[in-house]
Amino acid sequence: MSGEGLALALGLASAVARPDDAAQAREAERDLVGACQRGEREAFDRLVERYQREIYRLCYRYVNNHEDANDLAQDAFLKAWRAIGRFRGDSSFSTWLYRIAVNACLNHRALKRPLLQELPEVLPDPAPRADADVLSADESRRVRQAVGQLPERQRATLILKVYHELTHEEVAQILGSTVGTVKSNLFHALGNLRRLLAGGEEKRP
Amino acid sequence: MTRHLTDEQLLDVLEDEAAIAGREHASGCAACAMRVAGLRDTLQRARRAEVPEPSPLYWQAFRRGVGRRIADEPRPVRPLGWLVPLLATAALVAVVVARPPRASVPLRPEPPPATSEAVVPAWSALPPAEQDGSLPVLEAFVVADGEAAAWEEGRGLGAFEAGLSDEESQALADGLRQSKGGAL
Repeated sequence: MSGEGLALALGLASAVARPDDAAQAREAERDLVGACQRGEREAFDRLVERYQREIYRLCYRYVNNHEDANDLAQDAFLKAWRAIGRFRGDSSFSTWLYRIAVNACLNHRALKRPLLQELPEVLPDPAPRADADVLSADESRRVRQAVGQLPERQRATLILKVYHELTHEEVAQILGSTVGTVKSNLFHALGNLRRLLAGGEEKRP
Repeated sequence: MTRHLTDEQLLDVLEDEAAIAGREHASGCAACAMRVAGLRDTLQRARRAEVPEPSPLYWQAFRRGVGRRIADEPRPVRPLGWLVPLLATAALVAVVVARPPRASVPLRPEPPPATSEAVVPAWSALPPAEQDGSLPVLEAFVVADGEAAAWEEGRGLGAFEAGLSDEESQALADGLRQSKGGAL
């Protein structure tokens, strides 16, 4: 990668306020990816720096603990480095990276499946509740645990859509499904999450 | 719209992507409005559930960890697309060099065959003999006069014409007029 390209990548990595900036940032990212494909480690470090937080958070929401999230996020970047020579730019780099991370999480979960209790696709509807207060750390943990109990496709859809603010099309690309399926999974994920949270509250003293 | 909204339409209302008819129905139908409110409440609660943020130093350690694991890896497979035109060119050169020269396409032009018929190469800028109106005139003149040697000796038309008698000049002029009229 040229010095100018790297400088662009460094300077505009987070500059997405205006369409021109977003286009330049995408161009800079393409330069970084090209440099990685030529074997330049420094360029890959920049991509890790740019996406490490998002990938770590994605993994954390799957496994609900720091140690596993750290391992899974590192695994995802390692797999990306191994495969970057085959990245053709059909999707954005971030979409490609998310897909690798989601697959790493799904494989991890498959290995631990006997230890986890996953819900059936649909739960019975509880009585409605209306409060939406700011969540404490304890409540946040409860929501994360409830998310962790959702069926795989619903959980993956909800995490990508709600916490990473991806479009339906991007989520469909990552999960290899259609926009209609993504919408359906998101709808059922929210419904099941609501029932799970209500059920948990009914059990609390 | 009288029927209740479908799941997808409810989601569209929740995400402010619904068509006008869907929005109007959701605002007027208590059942659909309640379902949308339930989805919105859950979505808001889910969004507020934060992931614990590691310390700032963690991210440096994370990158070092990734770097260490990559250092133990072989280099990534590089795309070989740039090799394709190079190999194609090399193959073409090899074929051209290894190919024996064809008899019908000599590398060096051969001398013209020793025949009395004129051979016009395919690349000549001159028109073909059968389309050249001036050739019959000259041929008739030269053959009729029996003086082809004058051309072969390089004296040309001017020198040849200067040696003609009055009668011969008249005969040449008549011949040219006739030939011109025939060509036209």
